[in-house]
Amino acid sequence: MSTGEKNWKCAKCDKQLVLKNTDFFYLGHKFTYDVLNCPQCGKVLIPKELAEGRMAELEEALEDK
Amino acid sequence: MKLEDATRYTEKCFNGEPASCSYACPFHLDIRSFLEKVSRGRWVPAYKVLRNAVIFPGIVSVLCDEPCREHCQRTLLGDEALAMLDLEAACIKYAKNTKPEFFAIPPKSERVAVIGAGVSGLACALNLAQKKYSVTVFEKESGWGGKLPNGERLSSHPRFADFDQDIALQFSAVDVEFRYGTEIKSLTELADFDAIYIATGKGGDSFGLLASWDAEMFTTSEPKVFMGGTLCGVSKMEGIAHSVQASKIMEAFLQTGKASLVNAQVYDKKNCERYLKHDGAVSVPRVIASSPDGYTEEEAKKEAARCLLCDCDYCIASCEMLQKFRKKPHKIAVEVATDMQVTGNLASRALTRQTYSCNLCGHCKSVCPEDVDIGALLQSSRTARKNAGGESYPAAFHDFWLREMDFAVSEGFLAATPNGKNECEYAFFPGCQLGAFNPDYVLKSYEFLSSKYDCGILLNCCGAPAYWAGDESLLNENMEKIKQAWNEMGQPTLVFACATCESIFNMFLPEIKRVSLYALLAEEEGISSIRPYDEAVVFDPCNARNNHGLETGVRKLATEAGISLHELKEPNRCCGYGGHIRLANSSLYEEIAQHRAEASDKPYIVYCVNCQDVFARRGKECSHILDLVFDLKKGLKVPTLDQKRANSVEVKKILMKKECGIDFEPETHEWDGLKLLISDEMQKDMENKLISAADLKEAIWQAESSGYKFYNESEGLFMCSMIKPVITYWVQYKEIAPQTYEIVSVYCHRIHFKEEVKQP
Ligand code: SF4
Ligand code: SF4
Ligand code: SF4
Repeated sequence: MSTGEKNWKCAKCDKQLVLKNTDFFYLGHKFTYDVLNCPQCGKVLIPKELAEGRMAELEEALEDK
Repeated sequence: MKLEDATRYTEKCFNGEPASCSYACPFHLDIRSFLEKVSRGRWVPAYKVLRNAVIFPGIVSVLCDEPCREHCQRTLLGDEALAMLDLEAACIKYAKNTKPEFFAIPPKSERVAVIGAGVSGLACALNLAQKKYSVTVFEKESGWGGKLPNGERLSSHPRFADFDQDIALQFSAVDVEFRYGTEIKSLTELADFDAIYIATGKGGDSFGLLASWDAEMFTTSEPKVFMGGTLCGVSKMEGIAHSVQASKIMEAFLQTGKASLVNAQVYDKKNCERYLKHDGAVSVPRVIASSPDGYTEEEAKKEAARCLLCDCDYCIASCEMLQKFRKKPHKIAVEVATDMQVTGNLASRALTRQTYSCNLCGHCKSVCPEDVDIGALLQSSRTARKNAGGESYPAAFHDFWLREMDFAVSEGFLAATPNGKNECEYAFFPGCQLGAFNPDYVLKSYEFLSSKYDCGILLNCCGAPAYWAGDESLLNENMEKIKQAWNEMGQPTLVFACATCESIFNMFLPEIKRVSLYALLAEEEGISSIRPYDEAVVFDPCNARNNHGLETGVRKLATEAGISLHELKEPNRCCGYGGHIRLANSSLYEEIAQHRAEASDKPYIVYCVNCQDVFARRGKECSHILDLVFDLKKGLKVPTLDQKRANSVEVKKILMKKECGIDFEPETHEWDGLKLLISDEMQKDMENKLISAADLKEAIWQAESSGYKFYNESEGLFMCSMIKPVITYWVQYKEIAPQTYEIVSVYCHRIHFKEEVKQP
């Protein structure tokens, strides 16, 4: 099933999501990345591809230290 | 953790140390390395190893009486020891370049006198000359040599020409002044020298200093006078070895004014008895030389190849985790220490993954000839890291099981005495997973115990999740709680159904008397009635190691059921569950579980539900011993996380009603009433990720009641997140009917993100 990122809207604000530079933290490390969020309420959306792809790799790399 | 606290765990590990033969060799020749080179025909490197240890290979390879061979581990297989002297001779013969190395260091001004030009004196002279000290050798005879053990002069030996050639060769790259025909009558003659070595041979002149000789430091009562060799009552070979050691001590004296072992190494002779098991090694007879001149190159290579290259790596060879990380025990200890010396939260740790990838199963200790317990080292590392806390603590590795424990010690807890009494003689401690897997395992066992004994019930978690997570305070808190309940029940003997619980109690509450459920069941004649298989293997869990009552009890029960039992080659291997490594290293966990499932093609009889869970999930045919006893194996599938929780609640409900007459009312949540449609495939995915339906309900409930969710119009999908302190969960779902949702996708991550949610 496609979960194409662009098709997601914030259900609360009825706004199209936009990319925003967002802070991420793990095991004492901090980094930023552009992810979708609601321009009005600020809710962040992490798609499955990102969570199980790049984020999982990064988790692994940081845990491997 | 301090370095010495970490290295204490591995200090007895002798991986990489010389083999038993080398400890027996007076020169501590690295025989393993020498023979490995010879076996590959690498004559020059082999010669270097030999020359650097024995100083005069041409002499030693003829005169040594080979004490090494008495400690050659080949003999344990019934073979003759490696033919060391023949191999040394072959090496000298076939090495094309035997020229000594020239050391390009500037000459030193300190002067050293050596009294006696026997092999001992010469060895000391050569070593110090190589270090560029100005060395003078005094000898009362007209040439070098000294005496043979039989009192005759070395020069009378039939091979003396070869010896002479060797001496000339070894001294060809150094400057040493030889004063033959010069007898030293008093040490005052040598007042100008900065250090003196007396090596006048057996019965020679010690200038009255023999009584003050120190056998370890080669010193005498005169600060600058050293002494060694056959004069001091050792063999000729030991005499050479002495002189090598003495030259290093003298060097320290010349550098610092104080005799010390800084440049030297002391070998513990006792280690020549340190043998390995050599399971599976095959016997190979000694190669006999085809000519009286000694081995041909090929013969020598073949003989050297008989060397077993004795070096212990038992733990590494048999543990998947140690193999994966490719680190030697000493290195792991050093890393455990440096790991904890890192300061500040932003610093990275040295061995996070490995620390949390250990099953803590005790297998390494059981195969180690020195009982080194790497699991205990890594366990202490987990504790140290938990205590250090901070952001770099990888909480996600253990969060799931700690939440399970949290349920078991609170809502799942029950302590009850039977029949309204205040105290009982026994209390059943089934552990948190037995009833979760199958309520009947607990209920039937308790029924049996109640019919035979004055037995109460204690439902709780033993604390293994806290122990494995390194969370001492959580563990202690739970132990206190258990102890209090146990005291209130009149200090009953606890009946265990889980080897892990039993070992945790053994460690932390040893004052509580313990007995195994299986041992009690085995006391009943003919109690086990069901025979699911004709033949099977008992899979002993790692924590049952050394718990013989438990092991024999289970075997008796299985045999009585009519099963013909076989034993695994390696008992008590961890199924993969131990140490809760699954989230820290899922690929390793899968690999271990698969290896264990394949350890025998026969079905397994297990007596740990965690083993059962691991094997049943992989489709490995297995039965719990309680299935046999109580006829319980009726196509039971592995329960889901939610079913397990429900089972635990069910067990408590029934037992609480029975013993306390109270209806247990489990905690309820607003989201309990939601209905989820979860496909089998989705269920499997959730189980793999350790996400329960209850987690999803909570997330959806939060989203639906707050309105914070995402919507995909074209597909009619919703998505929401639930951010917990350690893990963030995501769920995509469709609303099928009011309060009824079809789950489309579920995932989670450990990385946190910063979200500033404003009221729209
Ligand atoms: S023959 Fe002698 S020198 Fe050679 S290894 Fe054996 S003990 Fe050492
Ligand atoms: S087999 Fe090789 S390493 Fe082992 S004791 Fe014998 S010579 Fe030494
Ligand atoms: S089993 Fe492992 S820890 Fe023990 S001595 Fe051998 S290598 Fe060292």
